Amino acid sequence: MTRRIFWQWPLLLTTGLGIAQAGAAATAPEYQVKAAFIYKFTTYIRWPAPVGGNAARPFVIGVIGKDPFGPLLAAVVREQSVQGRAIRVKTLSRIEEALECDLVFVSSSERGNLGQIFSLLHGASVLTVGDMDQFAEQGGMIGLVTTEDNHVRFDINRAAIERSGLRASSQLLHLARIIDEPREDGGHR
Amino acid sequence: MSPSPSIGRSLGWLSIFSSGTALLAASLALLFFQLQEVKSSLLLRLETVADLIAFNIAPAVDFNDVEAAKVMLGSLQTRPALLSAGVVVNGRIFAVYSRKGVAPEGGDLRRVSAGHRFDDHELTVYRPISSQGRPLGTLFIHIDLHEYDQTWRRFAFITGLVAIPALLIAILIAQLPQRAISRPILNLASLAAAVSDRKDYSVRAPAMKSAAEIERLVGTFNQMLTEIQGQHAEIENARATLEQRVADRTRELESRTEQLETQGRELAAANRELESFSYSVSHDLRAPLRAIDGFSKALLSDYRAGALDQRGVHFLERVRAGTQRMSQLIDDMLHLSKVTRRPLERVVVDVTAVAQEVATELARRDPDRFVHCVIEPNLRASADSHLLTIVFENLLGNAWKFTGSREDARVEVGQTSIGGEAAFFVRDNGAGFNAAYAGKLFGAFQRLHHESEFEGTGIGLATVKRIITRHGGLVSAEGVEGVGATFYFTLGGKP
Repeated sequence: MTRRIFWQWPLLLTTGLGIAQAGAAATAPEYQVKAAFIYKFTTYIRWPAPVGGNAARPFVIGVIGKDPFGPLLAAVVREQSVQGRAIRVKTLSRIEEALECDLVFVSSSERGNLGQIFSLLHGASVLTVGDMDQFAEQGGMIGLVTTEDNHVRFDINRAAIERSGLRASSQLLHLARIIDEPREDGGHR
Repeated sequence: MSPSPSIGRSLGWLSIFSSGTALLAASLALLFFQLQEVKSSLLLRLETVADLIAFNIAPAVDFNDVEAAKVMLGSLQTRPALLSAGVVVNGRIFAVYSRKGVAPEGGDLRRVSAGHRFDDHELTVYRPISSQGRPLGTLFIHIDLHEYDQTWRRFAFITGLVAIPALLIAILIAQLPQRAISRPILNLASLAAAVSDRKDYSVRAPAMKSAAEIERLVGTFNQMLTEIQGQHAEIENARATLEQRVADRTRELESRTEQLETQGRELAAANRELESFSYSVSHDLRAPLRAIDGFSKALLSDYRAGALDQRGVHFLERVRAGTQRMSQLIDDMLHLSKVTRRPLERVVVDVTAVAQEVATELARRDPDRFVHCVIEPNLRASADSHLLTIVFENLLGNAWKFTGSREDARVEVGQTSIGGEAAFFVRDNGAGFNAAYAGKLFGAFQRLHHESEFEGTGIGLATVKRIITRHGGLVSAEGVEGVGATFYFTLGGKP
């Protein structure tokens, strides 16, 4: 018992810190919030068991294009795990490397390569997250949106997630703006 | 003091009290458990809602979406009892929904564990919010319990609605055995009153189906009545017998009294006849006696010289002595009968003077003797003066006579008391008498001493007794031969 509580302390402190920073969104750096969101998505989405039975394989978060996080993302996921797998953050130099990842953050610098990226990852159990405009509408799974009052919200393309074999929890879906089909009307909630 | 209540009323109150108490206790217990039930079901319902909301609101907290959290909390507004609901993160309110006019619940913001708190009319439920084991914050839902209060009142009302007719029915049912107990007792009470008022012991309490003790009481009461009736009859019987016996005895006594009176009358008549006979005999005897004495005297004086020898003279003198003695006897008998015939005249008599007079006369008649005579002074009595003189003549005469042989003769007259009555006595130190013959002293012609020893006719004490008897008094004597004699007499009437 004492042992468990002992282990929960750093956990509590870390996430507490993250939430506190997120709560002070107006002042917190935008990408720190977004990095925290990326980690939190992993707790509401279920990945199928890794192929080949290699359960010890780390959970890889890849960043495609120009990395806006710097050290922030690595800091957020340090010491954390997804479904028992340690998390590793990796900056991808080639689009093809995305297939080796479990989650890919598509930087807004890759706007022109979206078609290529999505077709590459079609049917693969890789969660795609981006913060460019209309990311979910264009086929991305979760699009991060910054509101006028500097809150970070997100859209979810439910069809894209279902195609990939990932399972998003209803709680998460309930919180997101759901994008069912890629549509022309943009804007935010 | 107020009168004691009747047994029926007492039992009635007892049954009302007992069934009322039982019913009240049952109602209260029912109400209590119902309320506990209502409370716990209310809590359970609220906890279920809280669990659901805590689960659903977790991403909103996680992703810092206050608006979404508010919307989710707002879904509670359909619950009319809701006062406020909110999420607390790190001791600060993250999102809150509150009914119009109700201040958000601000207390207990530090609370992170699941639980609930009942306040006066409010209930607050706390639920931790977490995601994948990561604690995110605490949800609270604060509701008003007036709905619960209403339920409480409705239950109380229904319980009362059921309890009051139940109480009435219980009392009605309790009446039945209670009547079985009180009716025989009331019967018994009125029966006892009737028995005591009319003294009618023939009535009986009717046998009734009741409690065993009551039946025994009725049985015992009837048995007691039977016994009393029996005893009463016996007493009546005994009284009738007693009255009969008293009447019989009275009749018997009356006839006996009548008989006695007849005998008394006959006796008195016989006595009178006897007295007049003895008087006439005495009187008639005197004439021939005088003739005998007179002619004997004539013979002696006229024929003494030559015609009568010495023996003849002696015989004639013996004849004359005999006639004189007979004359004396006749005189005494006449005297006795006179005493009897004279009417009694009571006056206050100076007894000392009478005794003194008689003693002086005796001393004068016999101047050769010296008798020391002591008479108590101031003796008085209510008596016939003449008859009392005769009494003293006889008694003092006897004393004089029987002390004749003594040089130191002493005679005493005084007063003493016998059985509380004043009595006089005459005492001497003379010849006395044998106490065995004391009963014979007072009979006529009874002598205890020979004539040659002490002269006398034997009439004296009989005369004394007759006089004392006529006075209604008593006479007695005591004596020792050679030492002396004492004669006591009372005079009846008032002294």
